[in-house]
Amino acid sequence: MKKIYLLAGILLFGSLWGFSEVLIGSTLHDAGLPTGAIMTGIFAISFLVLSRLIYRQPGMQFGIGLVAGGLRLFNPFVGCHLCSAIAIMAEGAIFEIIWYKLSPDFSELKNVIMQTSMGIISAYFLYIGGYIVTQILTPIASGANFYLENLIVFLPNIFSSGLIAAVIGGAILPVTFLAKKIDISVKDRLYYPTTLGISLLCWFIVIGNWFLA
Amino acid sequence: MGKEKFIPILALIIIIIGGTSSAYVYATQIDKDTITINGDEYTIDQIFYLSGKKTIQTIEGEKTGVALDNLILKTGVGCPYCHEYIIKAKDGYQKTVDWEIMKTGVLTDIKKVFFPDTPKAFWVGDIVEIEVK
Repeated sequence: MKKIYLLAGILLFGSLWGFSEVLIGSTLHDAGLPTGAIMTGIFAISFLVLSRLIYRQPGMQFGIGLVAGGLRLFNPFVGCHLCSAIAIMAEGAIFEIIWYKLSPDFSELKNVIMQTSMGIISAYFLYIGGYIVTQILTPIASGANFYLENLIVFLPNIFSSGLIAAVIGGAILPVTFLAKKIDISVKDRLYYPTTLGISLLCWFIVIGNWFLA
Repeated sequence: MGKEKFIPILALIIIIIGGTSSAYVYATQIDKDTITINGDEYTIDQIFYLSGKKTIQTIEGEKTGVALDNLILKTGVGCPYCHEYIIKAKDGYQKTVDWEIMKTGVLTDIKKVFFPDTPKAFWVGDIVEIEVK
């Protein structure tokens, strides 16, 4: 029963994250804003941390990244489908590594300074890690060769643009922590209909747009 | 060192790395009107004069520009399939492609290359150089 309960949570948060990437990411991109850094600093951090606080289940965030990345592949609007999907999936995995050593009750993050610091660390490594992974895997996945020198010369730029994600993440994490007391009971009759309903709606809208584009 | 000290210190180091990298990127950004191709400088008008136009179909629709295969030949590169081509942007971003990819692409008047069958990561914009390797 608990596995299905967690799977429903993975589907919900992954769908919401992927949906945000597709719709809000497109709008930000059209406005000429640093889409990747903003999406990581706000949405990746919010959904990953919120799911960790609510379910307290390590490993779940990797699944959320896979679902969100999968949904991002259907984005008909803008950007590199494959690159973004790979980056999102990598962000879920990197989050697991960063948060692995934290205690189950998050006692380390008891004050705003610690929460802000953790937000900076999480957002920065999620962003630069996702960026680097996609720079390596996208050429390989598309049948072209990966050249290490191309990545190395661009690293300062990646480290630089990660600063925006870090600052946003530092501001967002303490706000997200306010939701720490949310308690979702598995017995709640509305849990499964709500999680599945919202998830299906996200996928329906994104895939529907994919066919219409 | 406990987590109470390590986490804020690491966050501070990250801010310093990000800030230093931003200064470095700003200082080393190349800003010029010409594009270096195989060691020679060309304006975008010269490039369009040198080589014929081609229209390709991409996932973002039709893109019209100078045919990259023709451009490479016109700029004096012998045995084009013997080389790889590093397409460099002014912010340091670069992608290396072989002749099989190169010959499918176009360079548009906004100094951006498009290829019909590659992910968008290969569509380098604000080009300052095409290095023949």
